[in-house]
Amino acid sequence: MKSAWLAGCCCAAGCVTGSYERGSVDEPIVDSRLADLQVGTDDLGSCLRALGAPHRVFEVAVGPDLESGMALLWVWRAESGFGVQVSVSARDLSASWSGDFAGADLPGCMLWFGTDLRLEGWRRGQLGELLAGRRRRPAPSLGD
Amino acid sequence: MLRRRRRSLSLLLLPALGACAIARQDTNEPLDPAVVASFEPGRTTAREVVEKLGAPTEVVQLGKRTAYRYDATTAKTAVLFLLVFNLANQDSRTDRVWLFFDERDVLSHYGTWWGTHRAQYAMPWEDVHEPRDNELRDAKRPGVLR
Repeated sequence: MKSAWLAGCCCAAGCVTGSYERGSVDEPIVDSRLADLQVGTDDLGSCLRALGAPHRVFEVAVGPDLESGMALLWVWRAESGFGVQVSVSARDLSASWSGDFAGADLPGCMLWFGTDLRLEGWRRGQLGELLAGRRRRPAPSLGD
Repeated sequence: MLRRRRRSLSLLLLPALGACAIARQDTNEPLDPAVVASFEPGRTTAREVVEKLGAPTEVVQLGKRTAYRYDATTAKTAVLFLLVFNLANQDSRTDRVWLFFDERDVLSHYGTWWGTHRAQYAMPWEDVHEPRDNELRDAKRPGVLR
């Protein structure tokens, strides 16, 4: 009973506040649109018409001669969850702590194109998985 | 007895007398779909694109090709403060245009995504991706065709 009173007093004094938050970033690419894509048949133009503009475009190495292809990335977010914030203030000191239980996933999909701009493959997953192993263009040196 | 009940009810409703807040954050100006629709693959040059849209947000080198990115973002936030419990929602949408140029700097492909007009002030339990909502908002923005 005492702990319940203590918790009540903390809440009333603004020491502890709870929250329910949701955040959405853009709209997900529906599975059926991805499933309709034909590897080797669809090209850059048809994929842009089907999925709209991507968030990012990257250069990727394709073929045995490591020629320049490209990868297009779409990402979105729709997460919700509860959170709690604890604040303590005494004399000249104040401290606060906050945490939330919303997911931090960033789902997305990536499409790869060869030098002829034909679709070579696509994949759906989390952003970290999709960007793993991505080729970065080296910074130019002064001698170039 | 009735007075006591009313008092209890008033106390229960007290947390609901909190406050609401809304906020909007825009990054870049929304792009004009009519201007983008005027670009013709095979004819429009990178120079003409830059004259109409200004400097791109990003330029990506793709071997001999290049790609220009133009974008704008609108984020709408709604918060309901209930003293000890708060409800919040943020809906962020983007306009995106990617233009792909060949080795002669002539437009070969482009892709668009129009979303800033679809951002909504909402509570966390509301669905901000309802097709009917999107259709109504698309109809009010000239040049947006999905």
